[in-house]
Order: sequence, then structure tokens, then C-alpha cells
Amino acid sequence: MSDATMATPPSVVEAGALEHGDLLAHDAVPAALISMRDIWKTYQMGSEELHALRGVSFDVQRGEYMAIIGPSGSGKSTLMNLIGCLDTPSQGRYWINGKLVSAMDDDELARIRNKEIGFVFQTFNLLARATALHNVELPLIYAGISSADRHERARQSLASVELTDRMTHRPNELSGGQRQRVAIARALVNHPSLLLADEPTGALDSHTSVEIMNLFEKLHSDGNTIIVVTHEPDIAARAHRVISIRDGQIERDERIK
Amino acid sequence: MSTELETEADVERRRGGRMVSGARTRRAASSSRLFLYKTWEAFRIALGSLRASKLRTGLTLVGVVVGVAAVIAVVTIIKGLDKTVASTFSSQGSTVFTVSKRPQVITSREDFIRFNRRRDVTEEDAAAITRLCTACWRTGIAANAAATIKHGDQSAQNVRVRGLTLSMFAIEDTDVVAGRPWIEAEESSARNVAVVGADVIDNLFGGALPEQVIGQQLRIEGGTYEIIGVAERLGKIFGFSRDNFVQIPFPTFKKNFNARESLIVFVQVPDDNGMVAAQDTARSIMRNRRGKTFDEEDDGFALETQDVFIDLYKSATANIYIVTIGVAAVSLVVGGIVVMNIMLVSVTERTKEIGVRKAVGASRKDVLLQFLIEAVVLTGIGGALGVVFGFALAFALSLAMNFPLLFSAGSAVLGVTVSSAVGIASGLWPAWKAASLDPIEALRAE
Repeated sequence: MSDATMATPPSVVEAGALEHGDLLAHDAVPAALISMRDIWKTYQMGSEELHALRGVSFDVQRGEYMAIIGPSGSGKSTLMNLIGCLDTPSQGRYWINGKLVSAMDDDELARIRNKEIGFVFQTFNLLARATALHNVELPLIYAGISSADRHERARQSLASVELTDRMTHRPNELSGGQRQRVAIARALVNHPSLLLADEPTGALDSHTSVEIMNLFEKLHSDGNTIIVVTHEPDIAARAHRVISIRDGQIERDERIK
Repeated sequence: MSTELETEADVERRRGGRMVSGARTRRAASSSRLFLYKTWEAFRIALGSLRASKLRTGLTLVGVVVGVAAVIAVVTIIKGLDKTVASTFSSQGSTVFTVSKRPQVITSREDFIRFNRRRDVTEEDAAAITRLCTACWRTGIAANAAATIKHGDQSAQNVRVRGLTLSMFAIEDTDVVAGRPWIEAEESSARNVAVVGADVIDNLFGGALPEQVIGQQLRIEGGTYEIIGVAERLGKIFGFSRDNFVQIPFPTFKKNFNARESLIVFVQVPDDNGMVAAQDTARSIMRNRRGKTFDEEDDGFALETQDVFIDLYKSATANIYIVTIGVAAVSLVVGGIVVMNIMLVSVTERTKEIGVRKAVGASRKDVLLQFLIEAVVLTGIGGALGVVFGFALAFALSLAMNFPLLFSAGSAVLGVTVSSAVGIASGLWPAWKAASLDPIEALRAE
């Protein structure tokens, strides 16, 4: 079965629950969009075990705008990879939109990433040879959307970040702020449950950073659920809730708005 | 593939967060339709990335192109030759066989020496077959010599002089286009008359019309002959002319040439159903005359049909086929390795792209399909180019060597199919490597 199951520590109750996935866990399906329960992530470094996350639990409701903050090495990148379903926890359970993703295999995770999550990266991660329009279409290709629908939805998504006049440009013909807006359009095009941003302003100047953060605020007020992972306090301060990570654990979880 | 096409209802459900159980209007697309869709997308992506590096694509293709072109050229040329050979040897049809001292094709020195020790085939042998073989229809005698022939101050060397009985005109279906064959009286009185091939006119009479050479004199080995007929032009095969001959009556040949050479007896049957029976009868008559008992394996003579030439030709072309397929196989293997190498480089170069695709929802299958199709498109293009080059090469050779060309759609399809299979074989490992990349690691790549 999945990697997650095989990596589960020999806790009889946990392992059983994981192996039977949704069925056994049915009664416990949380109402929150994101629900993490006692998440551990352990790496084997030679003979030593390195615990990047030690029992993290939290919920994120729909429509929340949350920041995850912490110094480098705190485990916040590991947490982001888990939230983004790029990785599976060594132990613990994680639901997104009612689905137990901690027990899923690679291809199921790919589907979840495609439908539930929109990524925004620090370095944009656009395909260099493709136009803005094609970059935005990318998630729809893997969702199996017909080419006419795809064009239309990608166009709408680019319009929502005010890039209608840059659709046929390639990334190297766009400014940093424009590239990040293309990436945001790509993240939104398949109407994900969650917009997950990793240091979204890390590669931008301060003026453009403000522009992008304003866009996030607008997207939030449109009803999107947003999680921003950052090490900059003033970026985190734009969110309504801040989780601080230190040494693989939640140090603080506070509502600021 | 268990994926389904997404509907607005799915999107609503996600955004609104409410599960509307039972009222879901999911349209389950057939998995084959989705596969076609994804294949088509992968095909477009593959074309795009091949276009982006034209030089590399071109160089990668060379091995595949050479392999496929070699096969196509050879298959096309041999099919053309097949047609020429078939039409040439079918002119005598399958109703004629020959009895001679030596077979027409001898493959070893030992055989040559052995056959030379046999008794000559004589007029008496021919007479015995004529008399005793009731299944046989016509019999004829042919004796061959090579001679220099002259007219005035013109001469031609190494011309095939054939002493024939009159029946040979019917057996060989010789078409006399000007003048006439000799008559029985001329044959029995051993007159110096000749029916010549078209080359003789070309070489000695400066390309005069056939009618103009009737009644002209020819000097052959000191004797003077009157040309009474000209045979229809037969043309060349494999570069050898079939028109460089002089036919004279057999008694004349016996009188004027040193006729110690063994004869060839030609036997014709009314239709090809009678061939086996006639051959069996003729064989037992001849074995009897040679004093062969049942347990003696060697006949002491050769009984053959025109099939020996076709068999020889077939075994020769079979070897050419094998060699060419060997050459093609080697260059396809080399081409496959080059393609694999390039695909591995491509996967390494595009690690980040793979990471991005996986992050936005590409499954292992999607990535595998993308790189596999890229390899197949690459070699498929190579195969198509190979087919074009192969046909062009065959066309050029057919012009140079003057034989008909047979383009076969089958060999074109085969060329593209085989090269695409090479693409799958050499693309599988790189594609699997790409599909197995960890998205987190891949996104971190530069």
C-alpha cells in the first residue's frame, strides 16, 4: 500500500486506523477544511533519527487567512510540504476537505494537489518556454479539462489578477510581480480549496511585495482559504491568524484580527 | 486510470465545502477517452520540447534514420528486381525442362570436377527421349559456343553462337521480327543460315533496321553465313544483354564448329500439370541409358527447370536481406542508445519542470506518458525521415540501374513502427526515472 502506511510506527491502534483509511475513520471526519492530528515527520540521517515535526495538531476553517512563521530549521518547510500533499507524515493523521490524505499513495496525492491545492512559490516556478496562458492552463490539463474550457478558464483566471494583456508573454518577458501574479492565476485556475503560498514575496522588491500581499487580501475577501508560509513578521502580520513553529512543534497559535 | 472529468458540481462542492450527497452530477468519462486526451496533451508537449532543441533532435535522429533508410532502400530495390526477374524467367514458363551434363549453377570446384567426369549428353540421348517419353511434347537440341563474328571491317567478340534444332524456336517462343526462321530443308542440308539477336545488328551494322540486314553476310570462324532472320529484342538483366547471339541450324553447327561439347536437350510438355510425370519419365530413360541402378544416387546428368535461376536469385537476395537487416538492427540499437542518452539528459535538465508539473497535479502516469511519448515522437519522426530517404535512395538507384521501382506501403509502415518501438524501448527507463522523481526534490533543482 502507501508509503505512509509502511512508515507508520508500530502503534497498533494508529496503524489499523490508517490501513482502513476512510472507512474506520468515517465517524471522525472533521468539519474543518484542514485537520492535522499529532503529525510527526522523522528523517533517518545515518544511524540518527531527526524529528522535523513532533506531534503537530491544528485545524484550519474554510475562509481563514493564516500564516505559518518560524526560523529556518524550525520544520515549517516540512509542515508546508505536508499541508501541500507533496509529502506524507511518518505518523499522525491529516484530512483535507474530509479526505484522509495521510494514507494516500503518490497518484492519489497528485489528484489532491491538482484539485484541492493551489501552490504559490517563492521563485514562481513557471515553465520558462510556455506562455503565461499555457502556464495557467497546466493544472487543468492534469484535471482532464477540454482544451476550449481550459483556455476560457485560464483567461478568466489571468483576468482576475489583471494580466489580460500579458497572456501570450513568456516568463522572461514579465516582471517579477507579473510572474508571481501568473503563478497565483495558475494556483487559482482549478478553484482549489486552499491557496498555499511559500515565501510568496521572497523574490520581490518591497513595492511589489505590497502589491502581491494586497492581492492575497482581495482573494481572501473573495472567500479563498489562504495559508502563507514565511519567515518575515510583516508578511505574517497581514494574516488573521499566525502559527509559530519552533523545533518541530507549535509554539504559538494566535488570532490577530 | 480512475480519474474523472471534473464538473462544476465538484468545484462548487469544494469551494462551498458542503457535501451534497446523492445530488452529485459527476460525469464519469470513459477511461479510454481520458487516456486519449492525456496522450494528445503529452504529444503536444513533446513536439514543443523537441522543437525547442532542433539541433539536438536532428543529431539524435541520425542513427534511426540510417537504419530505417537502409531497410526501405533495400526492400524497395529487391522488390523491383523481383519483378524484373519474374517477368524474365516466366517467358519460358513452367512447361520446359532441360537435360544436360552439368547443372546450370555450380557452387563448388569439387562439383565442377565431378560433373565434368560425366558422359556427354548426345543426339542419341535426345532421340531416345523423343521416342520413349510419351508425356513429353516437344524436344529440341541446343549446342553453345562463343565466337568472333565479322561483317566487312566490323567485328564483335565473344558472341554466343547457338546450334539449334528448328523445334527450339517453338520451345523458346522466339519471336522473329524480320525475315524468317530457317526451314527443315535448310536444317537437314546444313546450310549456312543465321537468325541474329539485336546486339549483332547494333554492333556490326551500326544500328540498321532489322529489315535492312536480311540477306547480308556474316563471317563466323571462317565460315560465311546469310542472315535470314532477326529475333525480337529482349533487353538486359543485371547488366547482361540477352540479345548478343547468333542462332544457326544444329547440323550446320556440328559441321562448322568443334562440336565435342556436351549438348543440352530441351523438353516441353503441353501444360504444367504434366511436368512431374514428364520429368520422371525422362529421368528414368536417361538413367537407363547411363546404366544407373536404383541404389545409385547420382543421375549422371542434370535435369533442371528455369526454377534454378529463380532459386539462385532468391538465395542471393535472401542473403542481402539478412545483411541489411543486420546493418539496420545495429544502427537502430545505436540510435536507441543515443535516444536513451538524450532522454536521460532531458530528464535531468527538466527536473524542475517535472517538479512543477507534479506540484500542480501530474501523476506518475502523466509524467511517464509525457517522456515516453517524447521518445516515441522522436524516433517516429526518425522513422518517417528514414522512409523518405530510403525511397529516394531506391529511386536514384533504379534510375541508375534501369529497373522498375515498387514502392511498398507495408515497408513504410514497418519502418515507422519498428523505429517507434525503439523509442518505447529506449524511452522507458528515462521516463520511469522522471516519473519517480520526488516532487519536493525536483522543485528544489535548478
